[in-house]
Amino acid sequence: MKKVLGVLALCQALVAAPALAQDIKLGAAFPMSGANAEYGEIFSSGVNLGVEHVNADKRLKGTMAVVYEDSQALPTQGVIAANKLINVEETPYILSAFTGVSKALAPLGQRNQVVMINGGGVGPDLAQLGPYFWNVIPLANLEVETMVPFLVNEKGLKRVALVYVDDPLGQAAREVLDKELKAAGGELVGAFSIPATAQQFSGVAARVRDTRPDAVYIASYGNQQVQLVKQLRDNGVSQPLASYSAFSIPSLLNLPEAKGSYFTSQQINLDSPDERTKRMVADYRQKFNKDPNMYAINYYNAVLLYADLVEALQKEGKAITGANLLEQRQKTPTFDFVGSPVSFLEDGTVKSPVQINEIAGDGSFTLLKAGK
Amino acid sequence: MLYLQLLVNGIQTGAMYALIAAGFSLIFGMTRVFHAAHGATFTIAGFVFYECYQVFELGLILSVLGSALAAGLFGMLLNRWVYVVIQRHEGSFFTVFAASFGAAIVVENLIAIFFGKGLMTVSTDWSRSVEMMPGLFVAPMSFVAVIVAIVCFAILHWLFTHTSLGVALRALGENPMLIDVFGLNQRELGKYAFLIGSVLVVPAAVLTATTTGLSASMGHHIMMISIAATIVGGVGSLRGAAMAGMLFGLAENLSLAFFEPQWSEAVTFVILFLFIIFRPGGFYGRAIVS
Repeated sequence: MKKVLGVLALCQALVAAPALAQDIKLGAAFPMSGANAEYGEIFSSGVNLGVEHVNADKRLKGTMAVVYEDSQALPTQGVIAANKLINVEETPYILSAFTGVSKALAPLGQRNQVVMINGGGVGPDLAQLGPYFWNVIPLANLEVETMVPFLVNEKGLKRVALVYVDDPLGQAAREVLDKELKAAGGELVGAFSIPATAQQFSGVAARVRDTRPDAVYIASYGNQQVQLVKQLRDNGVSQPLASYSAFSIPSLLNLPEAKGSYFTSQQINLDSPDERTKRMVADYRQKFNKDPNMYAINYYNAVLLYADLVEALQKEGKAITGANLLEQRQKTPTFDFVGSPVSFLEDGTVKSPVQINEIAGDGSFTLLKAGK
Repeated sequence: MLYLQLLVNGIQTGAMYALIAAGFSLIFGMTRVFHAAHGATFTIAGFVFYECYQVFELGLILSVLGSALAAGLFGMLLNRWVYVVIQRHEGSFFTVFAASFGAAIVVENLIAIFFGKGLMTVSTDWSRSVEMMPGLFVAPMSFVAVIVAIVCFAILHWLFTHTSLGVALRALGENPMLIDVFGLNQRELGKYAFLIGSVLVVPAAVLTATTTGLSASMGHHIMMISIAATIVGGVGSLRGAAMAGMLFGLAENLSLAFFEPQWSEAVTFVILFLFIIFRPGGFYGRAIVS
């Protein structure tokens, strides 16, 4: 019996050993499976590189480690993932993504004093989720505010039809687009909501054609937006397509039918001379053989932000808790992010110039208009 | 013109659903295996077609044959190495169902590992619509979908009415005890049910690859449609499953003329609920719950 207990104790020690070494945890509730898993791959590429750099620099007392949980980009799964990260893993800092998921997670962060930080969801109401919810990505209202004047005034595309996913992101996009179009002298000639799981859009294409728009704005994400673009084009919608930063994933940039589509994204200068940017871009290119997109950069920034805050707390001898992280962030005027220094606004968001891009159809895009 | 357009779209979608549902119904009706991995068969067929056509450029016919081979083999091997093994150990209906469900998840993950998690599309002019008359756009693929579905159902009808294998399969679905009395082997016949049912997903998988694109997780939707069509059509009735598939395709598209697109999928389930309440036996078959 003693031998059995001894073996069990040894197993316990072996299992526990890595956890002791990885004593600065951050959690990530990302879609690692399902229709939006492509985003999870991109997000985690930035996170992993950030953690690698933090540990290589030996800035912190302890090793940083990331614990991933699969949100499947669904609010229910996201809440399960966050509960595990808070209650089992006891992480004070959780990376979140997707508007619907982030809105579901925010009350958990608020209640448990755990920081939730979003680098992928862009619904404008993510700015109103309380002090423990931070965004390191400019929200969609900034993107739509940039795209609409471009479409209406510069391209003369006044009649815009919208196809939007029936979730908080899509609903917010509809509201902002309607408001901005009216302000710019344009018109929302049709708004068609689709369920997040829908895959067949030939009928939607018929409805869109029926409105005779000058342009079609798409507010969806993941595999669905790729299917939408392909099926709109295949089914006779020849008008220009426009969207927001979700269009920057490889499967859409490589889609021949997406050629010529416009999309907005936060402005990131990969050629910036600052050391942090140069290091991130060079190492990312070496590791993945391509340039990092803004999602990878946002989550890399989120990790380095955590490292900056933890380093400051450790210097002051304070515990790494959500409340202390929040306090530290509020008293730090600017952070050195990849691309440029960034300050947080009162509502926990960041402001960034938004640029307009055109898809080349071969996996790349060209910059049409730089952000201001 | 919008109604005509939606009708044409509905017929194409319905033809696709009919074939998928017929495959599932055939397997479930003949073997009583709730083959939740039918969606996985569909995914495998689509990705093998993609590899053969887009990557290895084997041409349409060889790619379709490759896809059919992969789908048939997967169905038969899953039956032989999972379902039969569980049934041999007197596994219950639900044990087989759980195993099937697990197999579907394993396949989804393996496909995501090998092919990535993004959407893959096959570029072909067949999926690009042409304006037949003002406001009516039809892709050549729509005609192919309908013709292939008609040919497949004609072959199935001939198989089940004019061949001894078909008659034996029908008997297996109607009265398995009788199969034993006549000295036929249920498991041997089950093998053919899996082969035919699995190969039936191929036309729909090829159409999906060229029209909507392929992703590792697309099997779930296919599975839902298959189950709903089997119930509405009546368990064991191929004709019923085909009719239900067509009904769903038409309802999903025609509903767009009256409701927001977000309700189009819900229409399928409203039809399902109505059948469960008012006609639990479906179009032709037996009631699921006795």
